[in-house]
Amino acid sequence: MSFRVCRTCGGADIDVDQARGSAVCTGCGSVLEDNIIVSEVQFVEGSGGVSSAVGQFVSADGPVKAPLLGSGFHTSVGKESRAQTLQSGKRQIQQLGSQLQLNQHCLDTAFNFFKMVVSKHLTRGRKTEHVIAACLYLVCRTEGTPHMLLDLSDLLQVNVYILGKTFLLLARELCINAPAIDPCLYIPRFAHMLEFGVKTHEVSMTALRLVQRMKRDWMHTGRRPSGLCGAALLVAARMHKFRRTVKDVISVVKVCQTTLRKRLTEFEDTPTSQLTIDEFMRVDLEQECDPPSFIAAQNKAKMQQLEQELARKLDEVEGEISCYKDEIETELEKSRPKLRGIYAAYTKEIDPEDVEVLSSTSEPEEREVEDAELQAATQHLTQDFLCQVIQEEEEEGRANKTGDGEQEVGPEKEGVGPQRQVAPLAVILGKLPSSLDLQQTFQTFSKSETCHKPDDEDSESGELDLEGIDDQEIEKYILNDNEVQVKTELWMKQNAEYLKEQQEKEERIRKEKEQGTYKEKKKKKSKRKEQIEALTAGEAIEKMLEKKKISSKINYDVLRDLNSRGTGSGGGSSPSRASSDPPDPNNTNTTTRKRLNRRRRKKTSEANQDLVTNASIMGKRFRRLISSTSKKKKTAPQVETSISMTTKPTETAAEPSPEPEPDVSSTLSAAPPPVEEEEEEEEVEEECVSALKLVGDYGCEAEEEDVF
Amino acid sequence: MDSSNDEALDIIVTNVVATFRTRCHLNLRTIALEGTNVIYKPEVGKVLMKLRKPMITASIWSSGKIICTGATSEDEAKLGARRLARCLQKLGFKVRFSAFKVVNVLAVCSMPFAVHLIDFTKNNRPIASYEPELHPAATYRIKNLKATIQVFSTGSLTVTGPNVQNVATAVEQVYPLLFECQKPLCK
Repeated sequence: MSFRVCRTCGGADIDVDQARGSAVCTGCGSVLEDNIIVSEVQFVEGSGGVSSAVGQFVSADGPVKAPLLGSGFHTSVGKESRAQTLQSGKRQIQQLGSQLQLNQHCLDTAFNFFKMVVSKHLTRGRKTEHVIAACLYLVCRTEGTPHMLLDLSDLLQVNVYILGKTFLLLARELCINAPAIDPCLYIPRFAHMLEFGVKTHEVSMTALRLVQRMKRDWMHTGRRPSGLCGAALLVAARMHKFRRTVKDVISVVKVCQTTLRKRLTEFEDTPTSQLTIDEFMRVDLEQECDPPSFIAAQNKAKMQQLEQELARKLDEVEGEISCYKDEIETELEKSRPKLRGIYAAYTKEIDPEDVEVLSSTSEPEEREVEDAELQAATQHLTQDFLCQVIQEEEEEGRANKTGDGEQEVGPEKEGVGPQRQVAPLAVILGKLPSSLDLQQTFQTFSKSETCHKPDDEDSESGELDLEGIDDQEIEKYILNDNEVQVKTELWMKQNAEYLKEQQEKEERIRKEKEQGTYKEKKKKKSKRKEQIEALTAGEAIEKMLEKKKISSKINYDVLRDLNSRGTGSGGGSSPSRASSDPPDPNNTNTTTRKRLNRRRRKKTSEANQDLVTNASIMGKRFRRLISSTSKKKKTAPQVETSISMTTKPTETAAEPSPEPEPDVSSTLSAAPPPVEEEEEEEEVEEECVSALKLVGDYGCEAEEEDVF
Repeated sequence: MDSSNDEALDIIVTNVVATFRTRCHLNLRTIALEGTNVIYKPEVGKVLMKLRKPMITASIWSSGKIICTGATSEDEAKLGARRLARCLQKLGFKVRFSAFKVVNVLAVCSMPFAVHLIDFTKNNRPIASYEPELHPAATYRIKNLKATIQVFSTGSLTVTGPNVQNVATAVEQVYPLLFECQKPLCK
């Protein structure tokens, strides 16, 4: 710090003491500065003699504005939402990461991922837990730590596939290409957990060799790496004379017994399994195997082939046998005495029938259908050609000629030709009433369209094309009456509970209707906010109340008079009843205009909305106020306005009007939000007598009570 | 389909899903009681109807929207849908057949070679993803075709897309990529 020279002696030698915060001239000894700002760490003794440093932690990635001084709120008061999210995310990452024993570098990387995710709005609609788990797993994969997704799901008690889905999505969105999992990564971890003691390293190495062999034998693609590791470790343990059972291994590796057994059998099938232990350690077989699932598929195919061959052979044998059979029978017949006369005819008839009956019982039906389809196909082919011809005709000529042509073709095509370009058009035209105009329009219609005719026209006309549909077959799908009865009974029995519930519900509704307390519960409809178009707030309320008839105990005429008289009063704000008189809108306009002028802060739109919604509440208010249960005041301010209103009309109107009316008008005007009251109060203050001034805010309540 | 190959690849379409509308309100209870092969689920609010001729299953809602699954080709799906509409017509509803659309097509295909999934994924990084812990196949998504191909290590593929043409194109597109990472079979 460069100081100027000393004031008294002019010496430039000034001693600055940081601890005391003072600057002293060494020449004359005068103190130049007393309270220099010190940048030292200070310590404070806390309870129990613990000394702690004074100061606050300001995080590097915290909010930009300075943290609060004074009583430091350590929670996020005054921080923005994004910072809060990041902070809580960081906390969760630390928590979860420490459970997984990840180092700080990994956790920081995970937090960076999380920041990226948040900035891309990928956390929306997802549980933060899942997102954080996915970020952590992403880090594990990029760093190559031996953590499985299963571990994370164990910690969080969440389904692995859900986490996997989130993880895949994040990896894709963040364009992070996680390297594929290598089973070799997991071996040291599992080996450690299996407690091999001193020989852990050796067992791991053997297991690694096994896994690499498995890889080359195509056992590892498409399989969970943990299963392979388990199998390898089991074999390695046995090789080194450790007795690890399948159960031990599966508890560590987290796979099922069946899986492990399967891997072992697959390994058994490879030629490597035939080697002895020493050979295995030394020699590496070059031959590679096919993936086990492929081998399984091949075996299946082989089995099928074998079966087919067997079947064929059987057929051949059968054929031979039947030949012999025929020969024998013919011989027998020759030797039999022949029938003569009438009976000869009978013998010939029976045989062929039997044969036919035996062999083709189901064929006729199929044949029929097949024939129908064939017919349809042939007809389609011929008529497609015809259609084209007709189309040309249509293009050339118009209504007269083609109308006839279409009519001719139409009936032919009905229900036969499949949907091609013009066929459906003709069909539809054939079915339609034969007004030429319609046909004309359809012609033009068909010309304007292109190949999408069939579908469009189907959708336009909605007609169901019946081609290729066998009605008889469809009849089978529908039950006849008896069957319907039986089914009805069965269904009723099955769904008895559901039906009961429905009945009870209906009964309840009926009862309520009778009682008159039936409220139609419209589940999905929200409060109906009618879109009332009005220029001002007052008008809006007027219109609203026109629609809503709130009470029969109100003399609307008097109200209207009130409104007409009450200029600048809150009565103006009170919407007139039923049919609003001409002067009233003017009044309301003027009053509201005045109000608008006076309005300082609040927006008119807000007020309008509030007016409308509050007007709906007014109905309830009315009854209460009228029935003199005024003590139940929902909001004091509204009550205030009621009072201010009572004062105004009584004075301006100068009527000893029946109490309900001013109350009514006052309650009407009570609708507006507090802001208006302020202005009303102002109005009151300006125009009316100093009742309010004298009494003050709470005094208004007392006045109201007097009024009632 | 067989761009760089001598033999032809068989793409077998196994499932076609289609939707259509009947443009009229349907009474599910009537359908349930008067039709054969129907399953009524009042909790969900739909009726499952199974047809034999084109082997399809249809989910029928009371609004008149119907989803047809199980057909083996697009035409079959349309035929089945029309049959179904005819059946409903006979039950007495004023059915009109409109807005028929094939929504999804599922096909399987088999390569004559095995595929090394890890290499395949490495070569096609963002488009392909392989997560052995979750699913044994590598997923390859073609965005412009809106098709998804699942590649198994044995060389069989499962392709899903909006129509049969897209599926065929997808297989054609992915074939050369698979060819690179192939592993010739021993036997």
